[in-house]
Amino acid sequence: MLGSAPAPALDRSVDQLAAPPTRLQRVLRTARLEETWTRATAPTALVVAMIVFSLISPNFATWHNVNAMLADAAIPVLLAMGMTFAVMLAGIDLSMAATLALASVVFGLGYQAGWGLPVSCLLAVGVGVVVGLANGFFVGRVRIPDMIVTLGTMGLVQGIGLVVSKGIPVPVADDTLRAIASQSAGPLRYNILIVLVIGVLLHVLLTHTAVGTHLLAVGDNMDASKAMGLRVPRIKLAGYVIGGALAGTAAIFLVLYVGSTQPATNTDYVMKAVAATVLGGTSLFGGRATVWGPMLGAILLTVVQTGLTMVGVEAFYEPAVVGIVVLAAATLMRGRK
Amino acid sequence: MDGATPHKIEVRDLTKSFGSVEALKGASLYARPGEVTAIVGDNGAGKSTLIKCLAGYHAPDSGEVLMDGEPVRFASPLAARHAGIETVYQDLALADQLTVWQNIFLNRELTRGVPPFRTSRRAEMRRQAHELVSGLAVNVPGVTKTVKRLSGGQRQAVAIARAVMWSNQFVIMDEPTAALGLRETAQVEDLIRRIVDAGTTVLIISHNFEQVMRLSQQVWVMRGGRVVNGERTSDVTGVELVAQVTGASTFA
Repeated sequence: MLGSAPAPALDRSVDQLAAPPTRLQRVLRTARLEETWTRATAPTALVVAMIVFSLISPNFATWHNVNAMLADAAIPVLLAMGMTFAVMLAGIDLSMAATLALASVVFGLGYQAGWGLPVSCLLAVGVGVVVGLANGFFVGRVRIPDMIVTLGTMGLVQGIGLVVSKGIPVPVADDTLRAIASQSAGPLRYNILIVLVIGVLLHVLLTHTAVGTHLLAVGDNMDASKAMGLRVPRIKLAGYVIGGALAGTAAIFLVLYVGSTQPATNTDYVMKAVAATVLGGTSLFGGRATVWGPMLGAILLTVVQTGLTMVGVEAFYEPAVVGIVVLAAATLMRGRK
Repeated sequence: MDGATPHKIEVRDLTKSFGSVEALKGASLYARPGEVTAIVGDNGAGKSTLIKCLAGYHAPDSGEVLMDGEPVRFASPLAARHAGIETVYQDLALADQLTVWQNIFLNRELTRGVPPFRTSRRAEMRRQAHELVSGLAVNVPGVTKTVKRLSGGQRQAVAIARAVMWSNQFVIMDEPTAALGLRETAQVEDLIRRIVDAGTTVLIISHNFEQVMRLSQQVWVMRGGRVVNGERTSDVTGVELVAQVTGASTFA
């Protein structure tokens, strides 16, 4: 092992030729770092959006509206967190919206068959896990580009959903689901609370477990990870399974949100999830991600969407706004790697 | 073999082809315990392929690897690491956006709890990583910094320190100072000398003949996928090594 002898005197004198930085210099240096401002994007924009919309519309900053916006954000937040696990691997999951649709259909099938809420929920999450396994297998093991794989599974999963459901939404009237959607524990509704708990668990997974570090390491530098003995295909599989499971979970929230299954795929969800992910400071080139960043990014998008509606902007503008956000964020990151 | 103690590592007639390209055509060499053994050779001589076979990154087509006199075969880099062989790669060593301590403990994380609910012992890993890097000849600014904020010398120091932390037996280094300035090169060489003094065997690839003369006790010359010559470093000069690498002369 290494001795702990101090560095030779010569080295130290050379190092001290440069004066230690002052506090101001240190603050400025931190501010210039890309990590700092990419992390600050979502929270800053969220605060700005809240202030601007409150000034324009008097009804915006009421607790009732804020709570409603948070509840609306449940599905985008889940999908953004799931997308983050693909993007941190330098990948993407285009199949999430299709998975969301199929999982809601399968949830409806289970519920209609009288299997009860818990089993139906497990079915929905199970659909997501299966799609995630397929994505992860083809990306990690067969080594096909993520874009192609998830485009393929998107079509496949969307098709299965339409075939199974014949395209017809099934109403689901469940008292528990209704309570989760409408009732509150303390100041927050149950649905956003459940999403927050999932977020905390994912945060712990990412920052306090070996799996989290391995996901980031593989996304950052696949060769280095391989050289350190990491099983790259298995880690990619894990990332896509987490993403799929979250899409499956989001399907439960979709059913309780609209009161029926949704066999039609709404690809807006994918774009929004990608936008929230990059707004949340996730590197599109992999290796850098947080869970709370994309969470805030998804809340920000929901706030902007609600705010624009409240100040009288037509909903037709929304996809264009999200599209601009994706392009702008990607442009700002272009120099990396 | 010479002497009573077996070689730390010995390679016999190793071959490896990639498609129609024969990267190794029967290479043999050895490294004595507690020494720095250098491999020199031109680009494409098979040096990197050879060490990647030793590190479990490639599986050789034929031939034998002996460690402490025992035949070994590594199915993966992890198997080689478990056997006590650590490798410092020239360019694929560290994950830039992870912190120094995360890189040092990559795939060797300290955890607590029962599976599958194991959590990382972050504070303990940081503490050990700090202890490790503060003992280096190169000043590493802090273990919670991301690697991309380190200089080339600091990165190489972290990579070497990580290798030594996990194996004090045998460390392979692929051009550890290729991208470094003079002062950083001197610091990394200092670090290599220290780990050898502490009993580690080092196998090093270098294009820098002066460095080979400074650091190593044994030098092997590779050309065209074969090891064409091996000498005690004290028996050769830098000029003679250059001649052997380019094929201008062969030693008697």
